[in-house]
Amino acid sequence: MMERDIVVIGSGPAGLCAAIEAAEAGAKVLLVDENAKPGGQLFKQIHKFFGSREHSAGVRGIDIGTLLLKKAEDLNIEVWLNTEACGIFDQDKVWVVRDKSKSMTIHAKRIILATGANENVVNFPGWTLPGVMGAGAAQTMINIHRVLPGKKILMIGSGNVGVIVSYQLLQAGAEVKAVVEAAPQLGGYGVHTAKVRRAGVPFYTGHTVLEARGTDHVESAVIVQLDASWKPIAGTEFELDVDTICIAAGLTPAVELAFGAGCRSVNSPVLGGLVPWHDQRMCTSIPSIYIAGDVSGVEEASTAMEEGRMAGLSAADSLGYLEESRYKARFEAINHNLLALRSGMFGQKRRDAKEAIMAASKG
Amino acid sequence: MQRILEHPILGPLPEEEKVTIYVDGEPVEARKGEMIAATLMATGKPYFRKTVKRHEPRSIFCGIGRCTDCVMTVNGIPNVRTCVTAVEDGMVIETQMGFGDWGGNDSK
Amino acid sequence: MTDDKDMFICRCEEVTLREIEQAIDEGFVTVTDIKRVTRAGMGLCQGRTCTKTIARIISQRTGKPLDEVLPKSYRSPVRPQKMQAVENEEFNDAKNS
Repeated sequence: MMERDIVVIGSGPAGLCAAIEAAEAGAKVLLVDENAKPGGQLFKQIHKFFGSREHSAGVRGIDIGTLLLKKAEDLNIEVWLNTEACGIFDQDKVWVVRDKSKSMTIHAKRIILATGANENVVNFPGWTLPGVMGAGAAQTMINIHRVLPGKKILMIGSGNVGVIVSYQLLQAGAEVKAVVEAAPQLGGYGVHTAKVRRAGVPFYTGHTVLEARGTDHVESAVIVQLDASWKPIAGTEFELDVDTICIAAGLTPAVELAFGAGCRSVNSPVLGGLVPWHDQRMCTSIPSIYIAGDVSGVEEASTAMEEGRMAGLSAADSLGYLEESRYKARFEAINHNLLALRSGMFGQKRRDAKEAIMAASKG
Repeated sequence: MQRILEHPILGPLPEEEKVTIYVDGEPVEARKGEMIAATLMATGKPYFRKTVKRHEPRSIFCGIGRCTDCVMTVNGIPNVRTCVTAVEDGMVIETQMGFGDWGGNDSK
Repeated sequence: MTDDKDMFICRCEEVTLREIEQAIDEGFVTVTDIKRVTRAGMGLCQGRTCTKTIARIISQRTGKPLDEVLPKSYRSPVRPQKMQAVENEEFNDAKNS
């Protein structure tokens, strides 16, 4: 059986940073990803990230992705694409299938799960019509495949993903007819919200989609106002001429491998639902399994990168690759960065949620 | 449903070799290496399959190979996720009705 | 949230809200039980799209907290595989060693 020090599952920002950090410490790392290309969602983020200079503020997600890939290449990290991790056995064996045809098991002293998160849905009559899709799907189409999913878009959800993707749809040449938000107030970063507003896109808070209409494809959407108990108010309906409805309703951590391996769960509503319990070192309830990024609680690419570094560092350290002073210095530096990313109006809530996960009993 | 030829951040659409795929018997020009779903969205195909029970139209939903709504029959094999499968010259793509037809096996 | 009972909750298996609510009222009050009784979550996407929605519906209808309703474990393989891929010497050796 093939042996590796550390197998990292998922090559998005968390996985890439975990692999890089562990390889820099001298560990023998294998990075696997089910997709044909690495980077997770990073290469769709054509906007500039926030944060300090250390967090690559002012740098576009796509450029950060390119830098990380180059670093991984320079470190000669072994990367297997088109490789699906199907299960974890005995806490240290990873079963993978490569190219949908070659099955193998790898003995991994340590496993780092960086499997990300999946988009949530909102249900309404007509939601299965062609033209209704996740905001992430629209983002993939325009920024990776360079194809417009439609010309007249309705965005459901005014959180960060909703406003960022709305802006990117405008950049791609689509018309965003409206953004509807069920809550009484808008939910995303002011900077992106303002950009979308300035472009003339109306925002309807306290509203939702009642129905999508069309025969073979979306032809229109009916919007309705909600009362204080989130029920539609009869008589407030109006119809919008749209051919695409994007749903930006948050993400749910992709926890199958973690829970299948036996990692204990904690419920974290703020960060997306059930997540694997983990400590500050990003170790789960199973000593050989670490996690990082959205699978450990949905935040952002910048926190995913730092968590990846923490998981890679800690996994390598647990195998004896670092001397104590070096581990401590890096641990402090990464924690310092995480604290900075989890500060301010938006960040504090996430910080509290993360601390609650770590403080919860292992289950 | 069209290709983005000029983009303020990504720049002009790079030149790419063309391939020909067959969609329900009709030849369609595609960019080499492009995902089948992207080609079909660019050329305006309204739906990719019809469901088993209610024969309702479906197209992409998650766009990244997780939800399986975009599946079509490709080179005779049903349930191929078109949003994560690249086009190849001569590929035969069919709108999938229900479960699809596994090359003559009775699986309707 | 609209409550048109004929709309699908499980897109893959075309299971309606009405069918799920009926199953809940018959006493099937976890996502796994709903899956077994209605097939919601048994389709090609294996519940990736509908699990959270079904959990929320159960929770709202029964008052049970979400974490008592959601699945806590997943069986491998967590991605569908062909039998051909698994009939592989290396895998069998690994399982036997």
